[in-house]
Amino acid sequence: MDIHAELKKAICKVHPGIDESKITPEATFTGDLEMDSLSMVELALAMEDGFGVTLPDEELAKLTTVGEVEALIQSKMEK
Amino acid sequence: MAHRVVVTGYGAVSPLGFNVEDTWQNLISGASGIDIISGFDASTFTVKVAGEIKNFDPLAYMEPRTAKYTDRFAQFAIAAAKQAINHSGLIIDDSNRYEIGILIGSGIGGTHSMEEQVMTLNTRGPSRVSPFIVPMMIADNATGRVSIETGIRGFNLSLVSACSTGTDALGIAYKLIKHGELKAALAGGTDAAITPLGVAGFAQAGALTRNADPETASRPFDSKRDGFVISEGSGVLVLESLDFALERGARILAEIVGYGATSDAFHITQPLSSGESALKAIHMALKEIGFEEIGYINAHGTSTRLNDASETRAIKNSFGARAYDIPVSSIKSMLGHMLGAAGSLEAIICCKVIEQGVIPPTINLEHPDPECDLDYVPNAARKARVDAVISNSFGFGGHNSVLAIRRYS
Repeated sequence: MDIHAELKKAICKVHPGIDESKITPEATFTGDLEMDSLSMVELALAMEDGFGVTLPDEELAKLTTVGEVEALIQSKMEK
Repeated sequence: MAHRVVVTGYGAVSPLGFNVEDTWQNLISGASGIDIISGFDASTFTVKVAGEIKNFDPLAYMEPRTAKYTDRFAQFAIAAAKQAINHSGLIIDDSNRYEIGILIGSGIGGTHSMEEQVMTLNTRGPSRVSPFIVPMMIADNATGRVSIETGIRGFNLSLVSACSTGTDALGIAYKLIKHGELKAALAGGTDAAITPLGVAGFAQAGALTRNADPETASRPFDSKRDGFVISEGSGVLVLESLDFALERGARILAEIVGYGATSDAFHITQPLSSGESALKAIHMALKEIGFEEIGYINAHGTSTRLNDASETRAIKNSFGARAYDIPVSSIKSMLGHMLGAAGSLEAIICCKVIEQGVIPPTINLEHPDPECDLDYVPNAARKARVDAVISNSFGFGGHNSVLAIRRYS
């Protein structure tokens, strides 16, 4: 599974209208992608659907960039 | 010092149009906006028809992200509010943003979102519920969103008085401007409750017609009426103090000259059959201008057996013998009942009546009811010069709200 492509899809789902080229591994959620705390919860729900993994709030809260979240998903999927 | 309060703009989305002009043209041609319910499968419901707004495009008024996290009822309010601001030419900037208010009520609130999320809660559990559900379902999301979308930072209130909501929002805005608390306000109502729970709930209460023929289902004052047709939409007006409007060179469309509101203290859904509290509200609304000038009454006229009879009684007892000479019509015969938006859309139509000299009809009035014997402008619009009107709204809970609107001079 292409985690980056799937995550991009999830971000576009919770943030329709976003400029997709902004979704790079270095992009920060609250800064570059202009997501607020509610959107982050919505994104967590979309990622759980997309990847079939559980992403607890406390783990996600520590992460700020798209790349970090991709790494977390990768590690969850390997388990 | 009391300020005069004028209307300088309005906007709407309704089952008869995505704006005021289309809605108005359809109303004066006697068109019906009622159809078979298409938003969900109503095959097992006793009620089959509604006034749905089909193909409404929220993206014409807001960003995709806003649209996604805004319930339909608040999307309608954003659309109507933006149209109203454009129509009035009001420019919101740092010189006035704290002196302009927003009073847009909703009878029901975000029931589309709530029903969807209750399904999620029941099928997938609490950890799957959307974090946006609270802001999406609470009634004040309409005013909150309109504030964000327009930059208005003054008094912001979403009030709820069932089917009187739109009229009460205008009435309270009128009072705030009259007494100098605000220079201007966006005021009106919005609702979008054609949902499984909304339709089932009103149907179980016996409020909705079971007539499955869309165009004849809503028949206010007709002896074969058997309930209202639920519909949806929003109407928002820009009200301003006359001084503020003149100062900025605004075009003045009409003047608000009175507001009265009472309650029945009787029953949670039935109106007081004597119409006594409605009569009191009419008297309050006409306290300043009197009864003589009134040339049109926009009825609440829901098409329920009880409302139409008690409203007729209230009008007759208020106006005496002259009641028979005043045209009274119910545009709900064509639009259905837009719930909390009804009163504000009807206020807009009252402004159009004064401006255009045409009174929209009550359609489907074919079999007179001896209890309803006024001039309801049956089935065809009528030309008439009208200088002052009242618009009645009543609601579950026993609300009676009346707004008086006059030609500006």
